Amino acid sequence: MKYSYNWLKELSGTKMSVEKLADNLMLHSFEIEGIEKLENLKDVVVGEIMEISKHPNADKLRIAKVNIGKEVLQIVCGAPNIEVGQRVPVALVGAKLPASPLGGSKGFEIKEAEIRGVKSFGMLCAEDELGLGTDHSGIMILKKNAKLGQPIAKIFGLDDVSIEIDVLANRGHDALSHVGMAREIAALEGKKVEYDYDGLGVAKKKTEALLIEVKDKNLCPRYVGAVMKGITVEDSPQWIQNRLKMSGIRPINNIVDATNYVMLELGQPMHAFDFDKISDGQKANIIVRKAAKGEKLKLLDESVKELGENDIVIANEKEPIALAGVMGGLGSGVSKNTKRIVIESANFNASSIRRTRMRLGIISDAALRYEKDIDSNIAEKAMARIIEILEHTAGAELEGVKDVYPKKVNPWKIKLRLDYANKLLGETVPAGTVKKILRSLDLKVAGSGKNISVGIPTFRLDLRTEEDLIEEIGRIYGYEKIKSRAPLVSLQPAKINEKRIFARLVKDVLVSQGFSEMYNYSFYSQRDANLAQLGSLKHLELENPANPDQALMRVSLVPNILKNTRENLKYFREFEIFEIGRVYWPAQNLAIEQVAQEISGKTTKSSAAGRLKEILPEEKEMLVGAIILENKGKKGEKREKRHESNFFIAKSSVDNLLSRIGITDYYYDNFNSSPVDTPRSLWHESRSAEVKIEGHEDAVGFMGEINPFVLAQFNIHTRVAMFEFDMQKLFSFVQQEREYSPINRFPSVTRDVSMVTDGTIKVDEILQTIQAAGGNIVLDVDLFDAIDFDDGTSSFAFHIILGADDRTLTSEEIDDVVSAITRALEEGLKVKVRR
Amino acid sequence: MLSEKINKIRNEAILQIQSAANEDEINAIRVKFLGRKSEFTSILKGLKDLSPDERKSVGQLANSAKREIEEALAQKGQEIKQKSFDFAAEKIDITIPAVKMKRGHLHPLTQIQNELEDIFISLGFEIADGPEVETDFYSFDALNMPPDHPARDKWDTFWIKSDGEQKDKILLRPHTSPVQIRHMENHEPPLRIISPGKCFRNEATDAKHEHTFYQFEALMVGEDVSVANFKFIAEQFFSRFFKKKITVRLRPSFFPFTEPSFEFDISCTVCGGKGCQTCKGGGWLEVGGAGMVNQNVFVSSGYPRGKYQGFAWGFGLERLLMMRNKITDIRFFHSGDIRFIKQF
Repeated sequence: MKYSYNWLKELSGTKMSVEKLADNLMLHSFEIEGIEKLENLKDVVVGEIMEISKHPNADKLRIAKVNIGKEVLQIVCGAPNIEVGQRVPVALVGAKLPASPLGGSKGFEIKEAEIRGVKSFGMLCAEDELGLGTDHSGIMILKKNAKLGQPIAKIFGLDDVSIEIDVLANRGHDALSHVGMAREIAALEGKKVEYDYDGLGVAKKKTEALLIEVKDKNLCPRYVGAVMKGITVEDSPQWIQNRLKMSGIRPINNIVDATNYVMLELGQPMHAFDFDKISDGQKANIIVRKAAKGEKLKLLDESVKELGENDIVIANEKEPIALAGVMGGLGSGVSKNTKRIVIESANFNASSIRRTRMRLGIISDAALRYEKDIDSNIAEKAMARIIEILEHTAGAELEGVKDVYPKKVNPWKIKLRLDYANKLLGETVPAGTVKKILRSLDLKVAGSGKNISVGIPTFRLDLRTEEDLIEEIGRIYGYEKIKSRAPLVSLQPAKINEKRIFARLVKDVLVSQGFSEMYNYSFYSQRDANLAQLGSLKHLELENPANPDQALMRVSLVPNILKNTRENLKYFREFEIFEIGRVYWPAQNLAIEQVAQEISGKTTKSSAAGRLKEILPEEKEMLVGAIILENKGKKGEKREKRHESNFFIAKSSVDNLLSRIGITDYYYDNFNSSPVDTPRSLWHESRSAEVKIEGHEDAVGFMGEINPFVLAQFNIHTRVAMFEFDMQKLFSFVQQEREYSPINRFPSVTRDVSMVTDGTIKVDEILQTIQAAGGNIVLDVDLFDAIDFDDGTSSFAFHIILGADDRTLTSEEIDDVVSAITRALEEGLKVKVRR
Repeated sequence: MLSEKINKIRNEAILQIQSAANEDEINAIRVKFLGRKSEFTSILKGLKDLSPDERKSVGQLANSAKREIEEALAQKGQEIKQKSFDFAAEKIDITIPAVKMKRGHLHPLTQIQNELEDIFISLGFEIADGPEVETDFYSFDALNMPPDHPARDKWDTFWIKSDGEQKDKILLRPHTSPVQIRHMENHEPPLRIISPGKCFRNEATDAKHEHTFYQFEALMVGEDVSVANFKFIAEQFFSRFFKKKITVRLRPSFFPFTEPSFEFDISCTVCGGKGCQTCKGGGWLEVGGAGMVNQNVFVSSGYPRGKYQGFAWGFGLERLLMMRNKITDIRFFHSGDIRFIKQF
């Protein structure tokens, strides 16, 4: 809300400069959104016309000598109404005049000029030229006692500063008003506001002209109505207009302005109805009720709203005349001809107002306050205040007041233990200081010693608990005075989050292999899902996605990684990327009751028990890595080169990763025809594998090249190999400890064996045969050459490393083993070993 | 006699060695002077015919001569070898760029998360995890925001489509606070946890706003944990993180889940509080929100009202990174652009 600095000063009695005030509020109360000084009418001052003479070269112009206090200026003037002795506004050279309210002038700067041969050092101004009104008939004549040389802005109260303060959500009850803010400012200086808040009361004057009927006292806890007659609708006095402007509200007429003025002063939204428009001329019948479904109302902003049963309306016996607490109706409002009014000062249910406002998308100063919840007791005070103002500004006369207030709200008390305050703040605030702070906030303090009783005035709806009071003490005392102190805690080391440590390890290994880490959104579109062959899977959907492309919760990291691939291919030809993140599987297939039991079983000790029936999806942390390599061209993909395909580059990454994280007993298996965790069709049909752990049927992950057709759909025209792992599964197979095995002291020898196969034998079978035939003196077998021939046969060559941990092998032993291996290969696998 | 002969052979051998030009000549000299058929070898063979005294002196002389010749041969051989290697032929331009080693990069959010976790672990905090798809109970109700609470609007929540009893109950967590409730449900104070993680808010994205972001929250609960303790932990943390002394400033704020509540600022990491461009002259940088846990939140978590007190605080990792690494647009973090990632 915007506040007038002068108004706050008047109410709080502060002498602080606006900057100092802003600083203080920022540290102890609220954030300052902005400070706006009125630069208008700078260099326009009061001057007295000393002498008037004719212009030698122009009939309609005259030359005035004007005394502005410290000097006398010669000014050429064309207005007919000037006389010697008048005090008038003088725009000095350099003054910037505002745009005329009439629309003629767009504003301009006064310069030293020569008008038809006579020098002129300034300008005498008309009302409209100063933006102070619409009169252009002549120069504005000021009061005789206006001080020479004084800035005009000061005379018209335009030397004000507008401070925009971001009032915290829990202080909307009281601080969205000048009185509330002044109270806050006074408290910061250890003072109390002078405003006679308690003295505001409505005279008990009965009237037959007004009937008020409140249908639901929960929706409208209080409704104060008053009838005033003898109204003259005109512009408000300048000072009211100025204060409204400083607070960001446009002046309209003296009636509407008065309702706004009181709202700005006390925080109570008010409304004025034209009595004759809502009554039969004798009696106005105000009914506060729920709207009927489909009922329509044309509001002051000329929009027509269709209402529902949850909206509150002010109605007469025929129709709604205002949308309660939000905006008045167009047909019932005050106009130029209004003579008699009904003023409303009421209180409405905050959440009802909020729902209505949000549903209809209306922002109004009234709704903004009502939805924060307002003290019902302010309604009466505001009524007293507006009656007082309208009597002065509109010549209004009070006919009578009706007050429907079935359940009076009384002040309440909070017990405050000073020890607890000190313990929570971690700083000892002297008891005297505590009491002084509380009193300066207009709270009633009773009792002495360590426990005191604090009476809360009803306008502080936010103060309900002991902690609320401790906050008041802390912030007014000053958080900067609380010294930081080390907590006293037992020296126990933090429990390690093993899964996070594991994820870190995986990331570090991948980075060391050249992979860069991606963070992707948890969403993708149905189209992305379709393209990545995930379209038929059930996804969680967002009710309100940020955009249609982000409507599904991912069940796989792959689609977004493919998009990363496509985008990065614009800048890089080859790269490696990975992501570790969660995917979300709808809990659809789980037995609902069982899950509900499981959840509530865990939380029996909390208030969550019994009410927690929601079923959350299964969140799995996944790892996906992608290796993007340039196309090798037709030649590179020929049969004889297939051992160098991207598949094996990915496989080498997987091998290194698994070995670094401590998984050794894994193997690659053919892809299952319909794996559960990944769509078969995502992968290259003959270049993909499941990664399995010995003794476990289920795969821990998948790897291979991505189906080129899927890639093409993503507009990727190169080969991409990927691997995909379930982090939780991987973690469960990690062997934490590595055991040392002795280093062999005896030399090992290498023998090479090469062979030709018919192309149906897998290298893994050859390796296993060699290992089985050679027994434990075969330490390692490495494939070092592989060629596939066009006739379908293949040639393989292996280094076989032989050795024993207790002796040096003899050449006979070695020869025997090699012949055994050769035999086994030729007999068992029907390969032809070269000799 | 014999001694003179030996000396003569030695001198001659050394003389020839010195003038040898290649390895072949060296080998020839070796054969000539030390070979089986050489004069020297025959002298050694003849030693056995001498008197014991003579045998001793001549023998010593012969051995030392032989050693001298061998050393000279070795030295000259080495010299020749070195000379024969043509270093100039292997000259390279050392300014030619080397082949690039493959190098991967951790995402900056991972890096900062690791740093924060390490600091907090050293301060005795445990890392707690929780679901990213949450219930409205853990995200709001338990945090003192019952249904219809106006504060709920502030969170711009993403809701999951569901029906029946699930309708309007399942959402993407708008903060990591639900993790705190879940942790407290299963642990008794004293406790110290941090809960870093992915959060979601349905707001329009621009250079300063993202609908997906990483939040970091800390919670400490005990019987006498105070505002003063919060200040201490916050100052410790930020001083270690920025590797310089940082002071913390608290300003009043309002959150339903804490009372009192604060906004907290840290002294400017560039100027230390004197005022500069980074802090727009104010000397302070706005970092996040904090407060003393509202007793209603303890009750939601299963603790008796009034028994414990503690602080909770949270801030966005992106904001901290942007502040420290001068990143101008928050949207880079989820851009998947390697050109961004590889700068870290």
